[in-house]
Amino acid sequence: MSLLSLIIFIPALAAVIILLLPARLRHLYKFVALAVGVVQLLISLFIYLNFKNTSAGINTESGFQFIEKTHWIGLDLGSLGRLQIDYFLGIDGLSMPFLFLTSLVMFVAVLSSWEIQTNLKGYFSLLLLLNMAVMGVFTALDFFLFYIFYELMLLPLYFLIGMWGGVRREYAAIKFFLYTLFGSVFMLLIMVGLYFSVIDPANGNHTFSMINMMNPANYVKGSIFSAAGVQELFGVPARLVAFAVLFVAFAIKVPIVPLHTWLPDAHVEAPTPVSIILAGILLKIGGYGILRVCYSIFPEAAVHFSWWIGLIGVVSILYGALNALAQTDLKRLIAYSSVSHMGFVLLGFASGTVEGISGGLMQMISHGLLSSMLFFLVGVVYERVQDRYIPNFRGLALIMPKYTVFIMIAFFASLGLPGFSAFIGEAFSLIGAFTSESVNGFIPRWMAICGSVGILLSAAYLLWTLQRMFFGQTRLAGGDAWFEKLKDINVRETVALVPLSVMALALGILPFLAFDKMNASVVQLVNLLLKK
Amino acid sequence: MADDHAHISALFSVLASVLPLITFAAILFFAKKGKGSILALCNISISFLLSVLLFFWVWNKGEIHAQLDWFAVGDIRFTAGVLLNNLSVLMMVLISGIALLVHIYSLQYMKNDEHLNRYWAYLGLFCFSMLSLVIADNLLLVYMFWELVGFSSYLLIGFWFTRDTATLANKKAFIVNRIGDLGFLTGLMILFTQFKTLDIVQLFGTKGLIVKSEIVNGLWQTGVGEVPAVWLTVAGIALFFGAAAKSAQFPLHTWLPDAMEGPTSVSSLIHAATMVAAGVFLIARVYPIFDNTALTVITIVGTFTAFMAATIALVQYDIKKLLAFSTISQLGFMMVAMGTGAVSAGIFHLATHAFFKCLLFLAAGAVIHELHHAKGKYLLDFDVQDIRNMGGLKKYMQVTFYTMLVASMALAGLPFTSGFLSKDAILVHAFEWSDSKSGVLKFVPYVALITSWLTAFYIFRLIFMVFFKEIRLNNKFGLSISVNEAPKVMVLPLIILACFCLFPLFSLDPFSAGNSWLFTGLNSETQPLDNSLHLLIPVPVTAGSLIVIFIAYKRFANRARPETEPNSGLEKFLYNQWYFNSFYKAAAVNPITFISNLTHKFDNAVIDGIVNLIGRVGVIFAGISALVDRFIVDGLVNGAGILAKRIGSFTRHLQTGRVQHYLLTMLLVVLTFVIVKYFSGAI
Repeated sequence: MSLLSLIIFIPALAAVIILLLPARLRHLYKFVALAVGVVQLLISLFIYLNFKNTSAGINTESGFQFIEKTHWIGLDLGSLGRLQIDYFLGIDGLSMPFLFLTSLVMFVAVLSSWEIQTNLKGYFSLLLLLNMAVMGVFTALDFFLFYIFYELMLLPLYFLIGMWGGVRREYAAIKFFLYTLFGSVFMLLIMVGLYFSVIDPANGNHTFSMINMMNPANYVKGSIFSAAGVQELFGVPARLVAFAVLFVAFAIKVPIVPLHTWLPDAHVEAPTPVSIILAGILLKIGGYGILRVCYSIFPEAAVHFSWWIGLIGVVSILYGALNALAQTDLKRLIAYSSVSHMGFVLLGFASGTVEGISGGLMQMISHGLLSSMLFFLVGVVYERVQDRYIPNFRGLALIMPKYTVFIMIAFFASLGLPGFSAFIGEAFSLIGAFTSESVNGFIPRWMAICGSVGILLSAAYLLWTLQRMFFGQTRLAGGDAWFEKLKDINVRETVALVPLSVMALALGILPFLAFDKMNASVVQLVNLLLKK
Repeated sequence: MADDHAHISALFSVLASVLPLITFAAILFFAKKGKGSILALCNISISFLLSVLLFFWVWNKGEIHAQLDWFAVGDIRFTAGVLLNNLSVLMMVLISGIALLVHIYSLQYMKNDEHLNRYWAYLGLFCFSMLSLVIADNLLLVYMFWELVGFSSYLLIGFWFTRDTATLANKKAFIVNRIGDLGFLTGLMILFTQFKTLDIVQLFGTKGLIVKSEIVNGLWQTGVGEVPAVWLTVAGIALFFGAAAKSAQFPLHTWLPDAMEGPTSVSSLIHAATMVAAGVFLIARVYPIFDNTALTVITIVGTFTAFMAATIALVQYDIKKLLAFSTISQLGFMMVAMGTGAVSAGIFHLATHAFFKCLLFLAAGAVIHELHHAKGKYLLDFDVQDIRNMGGLKKYMQVTFYTMLVASMALAGLPFTSGFLSKDAILVHAFEWSDSKSGVLKFVPYVALITSWLTAFYIFRLIFMVFFKEIRLNNKFGLSISVNEAPKVMVLPLIILACFCLFPLFSLDPFSAGNSWLFTGLNSETQPLDNSLHLLIPVPVTAGSLIVIFIAYKRFANRARPETEPNSGLEKFLYNQWYFNSFYKAAAVNPITFISNLTHKFDNAVIDGIVNLIGRVGVIFAGISALVDRFIVDGLVNGAGILAKRIGSFTRHLQTGRVQHYLLTMLLVVLTFVIVKYFSGAI
């Protein structure tokens, strides 16, 4: 059974159905999208349960699971050999958790799309197209296929922000588009370079298979990215350049300071569901790409740059947190907190230790759950009064008690309260970063200690927000009209929030739910980095 | 058989700690407003009974350690389990016992609160975290419950969340504790790097990894890792820093006085008896990690905190704040004990302090409760926590008075009380310890001694001002106010606690801690107290205390005129808590806000500025290329067209359509040709 193809193309099928349904049935669109979410959740649950924990993947094709591989594009180029592009899907411990995360976040995003009023047909079909592209990115093992899905994500996002967004939506959409495109254009060059450097040992053709790219033996002698590393570009070894370029492409997505400014604008202008998807999944593609592509194909370059990656992580943690402290727009505050929290991911990765990389992955999953929850919660208030300026609210706990409970859960989970997933993620990222100096010498200990200050700052800005917006006597800028409008959360909103909170709690108390699945792959990746 | 016993004990201990969690969950999800009292009371009672049972099973009968696999990262397995030894079962009984009494007390104290259900739920969460903290066998677990304890304290301090002071206080408490947690986390990271495990037994056991690790050539070697020796000291100080935040030690003590914004019952349980003692408990759990430098730091910080807080308590008027500073000071005493190596004395003091300080708070709560009542009855407006408004309550609240008096005597360390035993042990040990020290460390026991006199003074100042002479409100408002004794449900816990403030429960010999069952049970190092010091020291301690109590009596008991605001410089300095709050605001809070605003502006102006600039440059280039396209590229194309057109229109004039013109042209051409041909030969 081709489960991976199924999970990728179900949304595409649903998009076609929506396009074909007549406009008078437009109230059904959201249910079609919701059904897709449910089916995807079931499939990813099935995959989760049938996933073999011991199978490592990473650079061994046999270690991947649910593999689908068929020839897709084959062109005889005469003396240049054969152009070979495969439809090659498969998952290992790095990608499997994200299938589940994507399904869940997409489901929540659809639930938060209930209030979208304009051009429903376009909206839902774009949303489903995005869904398909994301699933494709997480499962593709052929670089060409990966790239197609990667670029395909841009299109729906551009329109979703640009058409259904806030006041400055065009500015935000273009900024987002150009930022990401800037990275991916160079990625294309590296991809082509890799293609001409690598040969599939099975048939002697050049190949786009990422797994073949990970084996130094497959490189043509003297080719540009040959593993011997003799070729230079601009006086720098070509493989280092390639790593840096790919890293920047993915790091823009993560995002890193100073390439982060698309994020606050995109989040603030995007409609709630798109913010949820952006923060919940798209940032994770950055982190995932760094491990799957940069680290795995150019391990020695990853080691070479680890100090800088660690530094970028620490700077992002602190800079993002300090910026969050200064925000007055709730959505912007959460956007900056994303920058800060994703910094832990990079710090963990840079450590090159099993603890650090596992922690980074856990932090990504956790941030996917919690940022979705946070943006959903911001959307709840914004939907009711079209305002999210922190000083305009006070004492919301009195009039929206259930909402406040979820806010407390999301805030405290985000600030790393033990018992929630973010704690495990941050703690292990930091532990990994700290041990690094003793184990492999990638990054110094002070980075871990500086990074831990981020935990303190996140407590500061989140608790400050709680105190300003939710506690005290109720006082609203909109007066009585707002009192009327600010109803406590309804059933639909609860249905969206409960699974996210439960997952965050479950991963915090039973971290093995995720760690067991990732362990073998992470160990393999670390061995690859250390050339064991 | 022995194995079964261990399993059952472990199971019981888990049950004891999970029951309050059930209270929390059940009430949060199902209870209606104002309900939940019975469930909360039942669960905590069972917890208490289980704890007592476990106490008799485990005390002096060897430790019980049971664990399960939790999760694995790489090839490192993390376990979760229960470690029951004398220390943990003692803490369990202490926590669940005091929690039970506070639950009973709260039945009345919180009766009319409309969010009573939330109160029980939060209290349940606290008891769960605290009980789990003391039985956890793994530092990662300890850290988790450590933060959860802080979280439940956050919830309870901010229980009345509509009050701005309460929400400021709980934020402060959480953040200050977070600062300490960074220390804890650092300690954890160092230990993990060095040993690849966080299991308490493996690390800190008598044959544990820490004991086995050694310092060779300035490197701390453990067989797994190797780092410069300074990291051992850093690990100790970092863990102490974490403990200092929870136990309100300088420089992280400022949150505790503010935490008094919570209900008094909460202050009593959490911010006096149990949670704040968690720091001391932690130090006892990880004791082998501390090297001499770290122990010296602990001693100095403890001594300074004890002294500083006691001086502040001298001049406070808010009854709860005063007691809060007293707590800080007493925790300082425990730290001194820890730092000087008297672990068992420190824990002993933790236990005795828990009872008398809890009692002091509950009694204060009773006073506040009744004054509040009077305030409503007579429709007056005054601060019910200000001791300047009290006085003469002895007449009306006899049980409260006598129980509080017993607790005060215990706090002051007068003979026949539990406080005498434990404080004596600490002081004796401190003197003994300082024999082998030099420099500043010589002063430690003397400062502690002075502090213990200050303690006697401030607590009896409180007693005399609250209970003696007349109610000052009568003067203030010109009324004759009468106050009732607190209801029976509130008085009952006071009486029980008062019994625990006396010596017989701890030692049959009222003058020697060395013979106390508790002390010997904890004293794994088996250091007998030095007998000569033991006889000598209590005499000046007690004599001095009696003298200062007499002075306090003279000054406060018969005073009719109402106290005014502090006026002398020293008094102001003390009243304002040595200005630590202002200092922190100026030195930490303001700069951070300033920097955060700066980074915000930087982000907007510089980083986004560059991005937008690049965008604009792109647009300008696009404009230039558009111009080039239009005027040069297109200019060339159009120019070619125009040229062709021009040539066309020029030649068009030649096409007249008249035969004569054509013939003429032909003639001219032929003529030209002939002429050229003819003359070219000549040339």
